[in-house]
Parts: sequence; C-alpha cells; structure tokens
Amino acid sequence: MSCPKTQYLLQEYFSDELAPLTREELDRHLETCEFCNLELESLLFTQSNLQQWQDQRVPHWDRGLALFRQDHRAPKPNAGFWSPWQWIPTAASFAMLCLLLLNVNVVANEAGFSLAFGSQSSTQEVTQELQAQLDSLQASQRDEMQQLVIRMETRQDSNNIRLLQAVMDQSQRITTENFETMYTYFEDQRLTDLQDMRSAYQQLVDSDYETIRSLQQLVNYVGYADVVR
Amino acid sequence: MSLINEDEALIAAALNGSAYAWEKLVKRYEGKIYNQGLRLTGNPTDAMDLMQEVFLGVYRNLHRFRGDAKFSSWIFRIAHNKAIDLNRRKRLLSNQTSSLDQDEFSGFEALASGEKFEPENRLNKQQQNRRVMKMLAEIPMDQRLIVELKIFQSRTFDEIAQMQDISVNTVKTRLYAALKK
Repeated sequence: MSCPKTQYLLQEYFSDELAPLTREELDRHLETCEFCNLELESLLFTQSNLQQWQDQRVPHWDRGLALFRQDHRAPKPNAGFWSPWQWIPTAASFAMLCLLLLNVNVVANEAGFSLAFGSQSSTQEVTQELQAQLDSLQASQRDEMQQLVIRMETRQDSNNIRLLQAVMDQSQRITTENFETMYTYFEDQRLTDLQDMRSAYQQLVDSDYETIRSLQQLVNYVGYADVVR
Repeated sequence: MSLINEDEALIAAALNGSAYAWEKLVKRYEGKIYNQGLRLTGNPTDAMDLMQEVFLGVYRNLHRFRGDAKFSSWIFRIAHNKAIDLNRRKRLLSNQTSSLDQDEFSGFEALASGEKFEPENRLNKQQQNRRVMKMLAEIPMDQRLIVELKIFQSRTFDEIAQMQDISVNTVKTRLYAALKK
C-alpha cells in the first residue's frame, strides 16, 4: 500500500510557514491515510532521535591566541608631530634656560628652601656665604682626616708592638727550646763519653791486671826454675 | 547588554587588539561549531580541524564583518562553507562517494574507547551522540547539511536554500530523503 501524496504532504509538513489551507488538507489526509500516518510517525521518530544530541565539551585548544598575539605584537606606530614624548626634552631644556637667564637661586636651609631671582649683589653674598661654608667644611674635613690619621698611626704602632712582642716571645721560646735541646745533647754526649771512659779504664785496668798476673806467673816460674836448678 | 551588542563590542575590542575579547568571542561559539563539526564529519579530529579552520577564517575576515547581519549567522555560514570544503578535500584524497566511509566510523570507536572510564551520565550522553552520528553517517553529505541546518540550527527552508544556493523544493526533498533513511 502506498500513497501518491505522501512525499509532497510530508515535505510540506516540515515547512515553516504552511498556508492554513494546506495545513487543513494535510491534517484531513492524515486522519484518513494510514500509510502517510505511519510514514510521518517514522519521520518524527527519526527527528526526535536526532534531537537527542547533547552538546559535547570542546577539547582544550589555544583559541587562536598565539596567532592573535603574534599579529598584535607589532610596535605602535609613531604618534607623529604631536607626540608628547617628543616634546619633553625640549621642554626640559627651555626650563633650564629660563633658570639660567633669570638667575634663579635656590637657597636651602633648616627652615626649608627659597627661590630667589637675584641681582648681582645678592649673588655675591650668596657666593661669599657658600665660600665660607665650603671653607669650614674643608677645615672640619681636614681635622677629621688628621684625627683619623693619628688613630691609624696609634693603632698601627700598637699593632707593631704586639707583633714584635709576639715575635720575641716566639723567638725566646724557640731559643729556650734550642738551648734545652743543646743542653740535652751535650749532657748526653758527656754521659756517653764518661761511659766510654769508664769502659776504657776498666779495660785498661783489666789488661794491667792481666799483665800483672802474667808477670807474677813469670816470676813464679822463674823462682821455681831457680829452685830446681 | 543584549547578545548582539555584546558580540559587536567584543568584535570591536578584538579588532583593537584585545586578546581577551577575542578569546571571549571564540568561547561563545566554539561549542556550537565543534558539535556541528562532530555531526558533519563524524569524528572528533576532523571536528577540531574544522573548528580551527572556521575560527581562522573568522579571524582573518573579522575586519570585513559589517554588522548588517548577526554575527552568529555569519560565523555559521563560514562553518557551513568550511564543512563543504573539508568534505570535498576528503573525497578528493580518499576518492570516495559522498557517504561516510569506514575511516570516518573510526571516530565512533575513538568515542567508545573513552567511554569505559566515564561517569554514567556522560556515558549515556556519549552513547546517544554515537547513535545520532551513526544515523547521520548513513546519509550523504548534502542531506546531512540540510539536517544540520534544519533540525540542529532551526533554520527556515528559505535560509537553507539561500545558503546552499539551491531551491526550497530541493531543500525539502533532501530533508525528507534524509529523515526517511
């Protein structure tokens, strides 16, 4: 069983703006035609299956940021004539020139500081004051330097004395040790010599004793020989 | 601020060099573009490639966007054209007909291999999506595009006909044929 209107009607079924008459015709036909009904059910079932799709999360990727940053890394173009950075050195030079031409004096003291746009005489006073301050500063620096030198010398002297003392102590100790060593050596030698002498004397005594015995034996023999004769 | 104005503000900021605005703009649409890619290509790798190509196209032509149409329409149009180009390239490379071949089915297996360690609700979601992708894989690309535009993007037949440069009747015929399968 089939229906010649199936394809046309069901295609129209999914239309966005179906004319009311066409909608009516479609509903009427679906009420009567089982084939078209079944076909429509199948199509709607497929559609609902497709609509069960659930969006999946996007895997991690860099979102083109590397390319974006690379393309936008180019240095900014020159702002041109009215760029403020271009004019800062010129403004600074102009300010310095004004300070120089107007003889601006900045005097700093304990109370604070003051600006003066001075004439020649005040400049001289300031110069003299500055000179006096400079002289006193130099004098104080000289004194300090001298004291420092004296302290250094004193420290150096005491260091030298201590060093010398240490050296003497060391040498005295060494000398004492040497003397002791020498004394020990000589004493040992003396004892050795004494020992040698004793043994030599003993030997001499022994040999003399042997000689005397030998002489005595000879005398005895001679005496005996005389007796016998 | 409405969605359209926010898009325009982000575009203006991105054209001025704001990487943050560009990233925000991408984040708004990457989900939809990626899922569209999944449905049209049938595998996550091609879907990612498609998505990146789409946003590269958007980035290169962002200065040409006039604001006379919605940005979403514009970006989806780019996505649609890129999908057609991708399919054409794949067909030229593999010398195949317009329906999906076995290589594209590997996308389903890739999804399935990840399923073993997923929590149950995500598993169900992925199983459903696999079913949908399998259904879409059974129809040729031209019908798949119509289904994507009509059912997933809720476009009218007139809009689809204009985008595809075909008649409204042809759109209706293709949709009917796609749903019948």
